[in-house]
Amino acid sequence: MKLILSTSNIMSGGPSVIRRHIFEKSNIELTSSLLANCTAHQSTPPISNTTNGTLPSKPSYKSWTTQQDSALWIPTHIASPLVEPREAYDITVKLFYLPNIPADRRCVQTREAIDLVLKELGASSIDLLIVSFPGMSFDADDEESDLDDPPSAPMSENDNEADAGDGAPEDIDTMLTTWRTLETLHSEGLVSKLGIAEFNVTKLEKFLSQTKVKPSVNQINVRDCCVVPKPLILYAKQQQIELLTHNDCTNVLPPGTLREILGSGDKGVGVLAREGETGDGVEKLKGDVEPQWVVKYTAVVKDRGVVESKGYFAVAELRD
Amino acid sequence: MGLLALGTPLEWPEAKKVAGQVRSWGIEQLLAIWQNAKGKERDALLWGDEIEYLVVCYDEENRKVRLSLRQADILEALANDEKLIAEGGGVPEVQRGPVKEAEITAPVFHPEFGRFMLEATPGKPWGIGFKDLLSVEPDMKWRRTIAKDHMAKEEYPITLTTFPRLGSPDCIVPSYPVSGPKLRSQFVPDEIANPHIRFPTLAANIRWRRGRKVELNVPIFKDEKTQWPFKDPTVNYDLHQWPEDDDVRNGAAKENHIYMDAMAFGMGSCCLQITFQAKNIEEGRKMYDQLSPLGPILLALTAATPIYKGFLADTDVRWNQISRAVDDRTPEELGEKPLEHDRWRLPKSRYASNSTYISQDARLRPEYLDPDLVIDKDIKQRLIDGGMDDLLATHFAHLFIRDPIVVFAEDLQDLDLSKADHFENLQSTNWQHMRFKPPPPGSDMGWRVEFRPMEIQITDFENAAFSIFIVLITRAILSFNLNFYIPIARVSENMETAHVRDAVSTQKFWFRKDPFSSHSRSSGTGTSTPAETSRPATPSGPVEDEYEQMTINEVINGQTSSSSSSSNFPGLIPLVESYLNSMNVDVETRCELARYLDLIRKRADGTYWTAAKWVREFVKGHEKYQGDSVVGDDICYDLVKAAERITKNEGRDGLGKEMLGRRR
Repeated sequence: MKLILSTSNIMSGGPSVIRRHIFEKSNIELTSSLLANCTAHQSTPPISNTTNGTLPSKPSYKSWTTQQDSALWIPTHIASPLVEPREAYDITVKLFYLPNIPADRRCVQTREAIDLVLKELGASSIDLLIVSFPGMSFDADDEESDLDDPPSAPMSENDNEADAGDGAPEDIDTMLTTWRTLETLHSEGLVSKLGIAEFNVTKLEKFLSQTKVKPSVNQINVRDCCVVPKPLILYAKQQQIELLTHNDCTNVLPPGTLREILGSGDKGVGVLAREGETGDGVEKLKGDVEPQWVVKYTAVVKDRGVVESKGYFAVAELRD
Repeated sequence: MGLLALGTPLEWPEAKKVAGQVRSWGIEQLLAIWQNAKGKERDALLWGDEIEYLVVCYDEENRKVRLSLRQADILEALANDEKLIAEGGGVPEVQRGPVKEAEITAPVFHPEFGRFMLEATPGKPWGIGFKDLLSVEPDMKWRRTIAKDHMAKEEYPITLTTFPRLGSPDCIVPSYPVSGPKLRSQFVPDEIANPHIRFPTLAANIRWRRGRKVELNVPIFKDEKTQWPFKDPTVNYDLHQWPEDDDVRNGAAKENHIYMDAMAFGMGSCCLQITFQAKNIEEGRKMYDQLSPLGPILLALTAATPIYKGFLADTDVRWNQISRAVDDRTPEELGEKPLEHDRWRLPKSRYASNSTYISQDARLRPEYLDPDLVIDKDIKQRLIDGGMDDLLATHFAHLFIRDPIVVFAEDLQDLDLSKADHFENLQSTNWQHMRFKPPPPGSDMGWRVEFRPMEIQITDFENAAFSIFIVLITRAILSFNLNFYIPIARVSENMETAHVRDAVSTQKFWFRKDPFSSHSRSSGTGTSTPAETSRPATPSGPVEDEYEQMTINEVINGQTSSSSSSSNFPGLIPLVESYLNSMNVDVETRCELARYLDLIRKRADGTYWTAAKWVREFVKGHEKYQGDSVVGDDICYDLVKAAERITKNEGRDGLGKEMLGRRR
């Protein structure tokens, strides 16, 4: 079964769980806001009292999720379209392809992701689509400095997993195969500009020579933005590629993290049963979750610099 | 401060007779503007900064520095600079060039109250494009260069809030005798003020309405050898030129205080003010309210005013001095005499912190408002009859408790509803720390909000940093729908706290613990998500539980998560960073912005000093300083020279590194 997780708009009225973590890396923002959105849809808040060791029973997932065709929406989702005319906005979408997922699924996944975002925002096109290939990081120092970060709750044990264990970067040819899909979206007018993330000069040179539609944007982690190598700056300028900053981590949704969110532990929302759990009377799903992709969308009112809508969708497969 | 039309100003007794008429016409004009513009929508964010300079004049031979009164000559030179005009710059009140649409427009210059002051603004407003943000600092530097180019070679535009020895003997050039008919000050001549008739009239009528001179008593900083009790040795008790010379004999000069007696001591201060255009009136009202609690924080963080009239003061900021310098309240209004002729007691000067909130925001609890707010009930009724809502009507009915100070006879012939002169007469002489500005009639401008508490900084790097910080804060407020509401009385209390010497590292300020909204976005932006609307409204507990006392560091950089409380205040800088992380920002811009945010972060955590602290330390370390709180001519000369050098080198040569760090 396909699971579609969503955060809704995380900008306004951030639920309590976001508050402490909204400033951390994107992975924390994603996981906290997924949790918070689920919590908000459950009639009783589940994470209320864990001091006495007993958990209050959570409502059945069926009461706050929606099954539609072969997909389960977690939680039940209603789109919140943008208010002002489309041309008032800059809509940026970043699509994270996840490690260990066959690249040949990406064509379908990309369409699916764009479709979700367009429906959510009530728009017919997006301005910038950035794709993040698994295992890419800007330079080797990256990972070390990541590990220096103090681990932060609630997903602390998965923090390292978020940055490690994401496999080696794939070869340029695989990326180019994916890129053909994006070029098609571009030619269909669904996407005005394309972007990539964490490319250094060597990779860029190889990549660019084989693209029909050149990326307009290369995103670099914000920690490194003041030490961007001169050659990259010059090359990007020459190729008219804008170097933008981001603060996402490389693997935004490791399987363990998703399992924990959906699971029945004290940090989970109680959709998935525990290993060997016979059930405490509340119906739960069973099986292995395999995260497929994550998409982040941001709609900014151009001439006011106000972020009106920002959120994520994460899609996973649940297998018996 | 724009120049208003010339005319025949009424002396106070005449002006007083027509005050009611001016108010009533002002309210009619306001209603006309409001009716016209309340539906204005989707205006872009445009914003502007104002930099004010002191023009100093060095006397190298005698190692003296004085204030130069050549404002008019400098402005004339600027207005006659053909190259500047061709680039779109100049002096709007006299002559300026056309604003360039797609290219750079040269800055424009304005007169100010003090005849030793100059104000410069960008040639056209800034937008929110991040490239625009990077143009601010070079533009500020360009302004200073242009200003300097139109001055004499011994003159220089410095950005100290106040001239350290203003009001001391021989502190201005050319020299004029003190005790003139308008100011009647025993320390500064009438010629200290801009000669445009509006300014001397303003000063004279404030004094006249008040029934005595304005009184500024700043606590003296008690150093090891300061005479104690301190009796300001510069006060002359034997003057008999004007009736107001009795003021000091009646105890106007307080013990242990530096005493000053003229508007120039306050309105002669330089500030850093930022004005924003909102998308519509609702957004403007929201920004006004949400920026209001930040005022005292930014005042303390930009503290730069430790010296008055040649003495070290025991306060760090200018605010209350300006407040007293334009305080036109009568003894009855002040509560010193029983109310007989006046209408009410007034707890605040017309220059003071905000007194009310104005946003129609579900998060604005009635408990935040001041139950004793003084308003003109008739005016409020007229506004409500005209269709205005209660909150906004209350705001204007509060501003309109004041009398117009400068009234021109020519303006009283007919009421012109297509103008704003009578409304602006009251509006622009209410100097609160925020100002809510309706669109000028006949322009396509939107509703604007002015953020007024910040002190000017010595370098343009700092001035750009604070300007941009405030701009980014407004974007974070609107994007995250942040809630900074605390009771308005606490904001006023914070404003006082901000005056304390080194408040930035020693004091705590009332601040809201949780800035995230418990309510969905107000209608209008209409982006509430289903999750929010389906969630039951959070029950509101006691207002007192919503806020606590925080250090400036905690407000700016966030409370550490060591405490068990889950609602640690995240900090203004992290909020701004979080906003930036949601935006497409190019690496170069992000890097530049990081420099600015780093300055503010480190000012707040004490790594870098405020200008106030740096100036204090400079004085204390000066070889001529006697440990007696006196800032003499030699020290003043070296201090102003040092300020100029810091302006140019920004700490790169080591001077001022305590304020700026080691700049690259």
